[in-house]
Amino acid sequence: MQFLQNNLLTLLIFLPTGGAVLTLLAKNRDAARWTALATTLVTLALSLVLLITFKTNFGAVQMVQEGDWIPAFNIKYKVGIDGLSLPLVLLSTFICALAAIASWNIEKMTRGYFALFLFLETGILGTFLAIDFFLFYVFFEVTLLPMYFLIGIWGGPRKEYAAIKFFLYTLVGSIALLIVLIGTHLYTKDAATGLGSFDLVKLPLLIKAAIANGSMSMDVVRWFFVLAMICFLIKVPAVPFHTWLPDAHVEAPTAMSMILAALLLKMGGYGIFRVAYPLFSDAGRELWMIVAFVGVLSILYGALCAMAQTDFKRLVAYSSVSHMGFVVLGAAMMTKTAANGALFMMIAHGITSAMLFFIVGVAYDRAHHREISRFGGLATTMPVYFGLSAIGIFANLGLPGLCGFIGEIMVLLGSFEAAKPGSILIQSGAASTRQIYPFAVSACLGVVLTAAYMLWTIQRVYFGPERAEYRGFKEVDSREQVVLWPLAVMALLLGILPTLFVFSYTDSTVETLFKLFR
Amino acid sequence: MSLLSLLLPELILIVAASGLLLLGLSNKVASRRLAPVVAMLALIVTFCIQIYRVKAGGGPTQHDTFGGISRDGSIYGTLRIAEFAQYIKLISLGIGILLTLLAWPTNDDATGNSALHFGHDAGEFFALMLLSLTGLLLVAGANDIMLLFLGIELASIPTYIMVSVSRPLPVAQEAGVKYFFLGAFAAAIMLFGFSYLYGTTGATNLYEIMLNLHPKDASGIIDWGTRITLTPWQSLAVLMLVAGFAFKMAVVPLHFYVGDVYQGAATPVTAFLSFVPKASGFVALIKLLFALGGPNWLLPEPIVRANGTGLLWVLAILTMTVGNVLGLLQYNVKRVLAFSSVAHSGYMMAALAALATSQFVSPASNVKTTGLQAVLFYLAAYGIMNIGAFGVLQLLSARDGKDSAETFEDLAGKGRHHVSLALSMAVCCFSLTGIPLTVGFMGKLMIIKPALAAAIAKTPVGMSSVRPAMTWLVVIIMINAAISAAYYLRIVATLFLRSEEHAHPATAPHAAPHPAPRPHPRGHHLADHAHPVDPLFTRHTMPILLAVILSVAGTLLFGMIPSATELLGNGVQSAARIEGDIPQALPGLSDKAVAASK
Repeated sequence: MQFLQNNLLTLLIFLPTGGAVLTLLAKNRDAARWTALATTLVTLALSLVLLITFKTNFGAVQMVQEGDWIPAFNIKYKVGIDGLSLPLVLLSTFICALAAIASWNIEKMTRGYFALFLFLETGILGTFLAIDFFLFYVFFEVTLLPMYFLIGIWGGPRKEYAAIKFFLYTLVGSIALLIVLIGTHLYTKDAATGLGSFDLVKLPLLIKAAIANGSMSMDVVRWFFVLAMICFLIKVPAVPFHTWLPDAHVEAPTAMSMILAALLLKMGGYGIFRVAYPLFSDAGRELWMIVAFVGVLSILYGALCAMAQTDFKRLVAYSSVSHMGFVVLGAAMMTKTAANGALFMMIAHGITSAMLFFIVGVAYDRAHHREISRFGGLATTMPVYFGLSAIGIFANLGLPGLCGFIGEIMVLLGSFEAAKPGSILIQSGAASTRQIYPFAVSACLGVVLTAAYMLWTIQRVYFGPERAEYRGFKEVDSREQVVLWPLAVMALLLGILPTLFVFSYTDSTVETLFKLFR
Repeated sequence: MSLLSLLLPELILIVAASGLLLLGLSNKVASRRLAPVVAMLALIVTFCIQIYRVKAGGGPTQHDTFGGISRDGSIYGTLRIAEFAQYIKLISLGIGILLTLLAWPTNDDATGNSALHFGHDAGEFFALMLLSLTGLLLVAGANDIMLLFLGIELASIPTYIMVSVSRPLPVAQEAGVKYFFLGAFAAAIMLFGFSYLYGTTGATNLYEIMLNLHPKDASGIIDWGTRITLTPWQSLAVLMLVAGFAFKMAVVPLHFYVGDVYQGAATPVTAFLSFVPKASGFVALIKLLFALGGPNWLLPEPIVRANGTGLLWVLAILTMTVGNVLGLLQYNVKRVLAFSSVAHSGYMMAALAALATSQFVSPASNVKTTGLQAVLFYLAAYGIMNIGAFGVLQLLSARDGKDSAETFEDLAGKGRHHVSLALSMAVCCFSLTGIPLTVGFMGKLMIIKPALAAAIAKTPVGMSSVRPAMTWLVVIIMINAAISAAYYLRIVATLFLRSEEHAHPATAPHAAPHPAPRPHPRGHHLADHAHPVDPLFTRHTMPILLAVILSVAGTLLFGMIPSATELLGNGVQSAARIEGDIPQALPGLSDKAVAASK
């Protein structure tokens, strides 16, 4: 038991890798499927143990496990968990278990598929749990590889293009982050070793010290912030860098779309809160307007693009761009409410986007196309499907009582809060009330647009007269229900009890984070 | 240490090479089968000696007094086998072993393997290989421009022949001839440069050149703290030397032969070309720069200017960018790897360019050591990861089943049938791209570190800032890393994502003409098995497979396992102390001694 407690996080990260090896050795397809599912379920169970052991009022990173990795560079294997990562870790294990079920109909090279899938889970969990910057970077970039193959081999007709585009976009961001990685290492000196540091807990203070003693100029801080933000904004993705996302989603198999939207995008959001803002908070304060602009642009442009789509999956992909814009805006505003809202938004969007992509997948499996205009009347044909879809869609558009609402409203409230005299942005003189209002108000407009395109989609896909060619569609089967029900329940629970599920964990960590911003 | 024992590795290789030449006289299958074994044994023995010597290192640097001015057993020998040389020799021999495995004649009458057809010339072929490696070892130890030049040529001349005999195809002949004439031209330029260097400094010994270049005070104490100014003639010498080395390193603008030669040569020879001559060029360049800059690396004007730009900077940027852009445009995988080889030279040049600016930034930023370490590490890393890629090309058959794979069409969909091979290729390609957990990533990390350190370091009072130049260098490395990812990824994508039917030659407008139907090769070719990789584990593929496995294992091991990375890092660290034993206040040669040396 003691062993389990000491190594819980490491076990959590590498359990899927072990499962991947077992999957590769599996005798046949079914064995591979069951091995993979069992692995994801055990990982989910392990992550639930975290809930029990996690100390909610601790604030700092806990359950730290540390060891030397490459001492010559002061690179450590250091994992730990705090309120930023805990909800995302739980989300990851939860979505991965569901995605394993959603992947049940993969027939082509099944063992390879599930092995890569489990490697991907290791990468995702590693990214969320790494406390060493270098380790974080390694996991962050290593997740690219399985996803590249999963889209490229099991994807749709233009999979090669989509996979390469996905890889190159993210790689460009990773290279920008690499500069930051080496740069912070060169600028900081760890008291213990005299070498540069990669420790994400110590780095904010070390960088503040470097700025204070003049060895690191504000110019450099600004550049590093911009480079780190470019990396994470590509991953999020925010508007000028978002074009890889629709292609990747459209070509990816359903389960991979779920993971891509629910988890991989969150790695970008997580990076913003784990790396970019804590390390370079001064630059973040100064450049708030650019970040906020990117956020609002993503919200509005993403929503408008979603409205213009004819392909159901592309529509959901653009809605992801729009929703992740709230996360970026939440970070830019630098208020506790907005930050909490952004973190909640990530969880909520993880649930709803996974659900919507699965819903699209269900329709595609039956109709073999995704053209919104060719659908219609599905509510009559498949009532249960419609009911579950409605929960997902309403949760996504932010209906009060469902999870999407809390995130949006918190970010918006936080944005207006930023315009108050006591906020960090106003106090530091980086912004004036008059500058902040336009961003907050236009973000509100995004909520309206979201409602518009989502409702319009319901109308076009589910309502209207039943179509003859879809009459033979069978209702969602038990496997599909096993995926959809947990998501629907979580969407509801998160909407009703946000504090119990998210804020009780994030609050104290956000508190700690904001001590760095002042 | 006696000369004999200093030169032991080289001597073993030369004896083995002579034996192989004799063996080549016999026309029997058995003797052809014996040839690679002899070469391999010689390499393994020398490799073990080298491991022993590197391990035993830490003692005084070994100098030979052969032909130089010997004063108190000091540093004027023709050979200087310090940690630097030991490290270069170690990695050259290690990679030489892998290269021999790639060239192992595995077909039934031992006239070649899936990619190589040297016919009856097995003995000669491996003799040339050993001779070329001997040249590289001599370059590593050379402390005299005569020996340096001879070493470089010994490393190069056998490769001209190897390219021509590697396969009985017109493309190979063309490549050989092209490589020979251009190589001879480069050698002439280099020799011209060496002659000017001798003429302007009055010495052939690199240390004497260094001493004579640097000013000394009245008591004859050399002032290592001042940056020298080259006379126009000296600058000309340096320019010509850099041009000559640039040819060997495949540095732009002397890279133009790379595409045709790498494509024309048989794949194992291409792998050989991408390491041995390149390494000899880099080692020679480092030696030249050291002689010009002295132990403090205060490199003079055309090499680096006070604002951080200069010859090395320009060459680095040109080489990276041109190499990667041309790599992006290729339709033949061997050509892609050829231009990737150019680009990787560019990365190493970038580290040297950063190293050159160390004199303008505060010593605390450590640019000097990290720069040299980066080059040395990258040289080993590139050698290790590149061989795997060539090995996989050898093991995969072309579409017509007659030869090993070369074009993208040949690779299309192969990942489905040869998962392990394709995965090996993927590992090598990702390593060349610089994805974490591979040695390529560690290499890239080390390359960026000195440049970035120079870009953000404090500028000492009275110096102009190198910040803009170094910042641009970092930015261009970044951009290039992204460009290169595109074509490495295309290789992986072709293997895994494309199906064999979807391979459309029509999309290859610039495709080099597919090798013409083979004129009947000397001896039999390997047509006795149409698909040389089906099944994977056969007598015909074993040595190549072993090379691929070793390369992939090395790529992952050095990128992932801390102790392995540390091991290589330590080797690099000690090798980077190139100036180690030079006292900062070394008495210079008196004029009489200079006169005596002439």
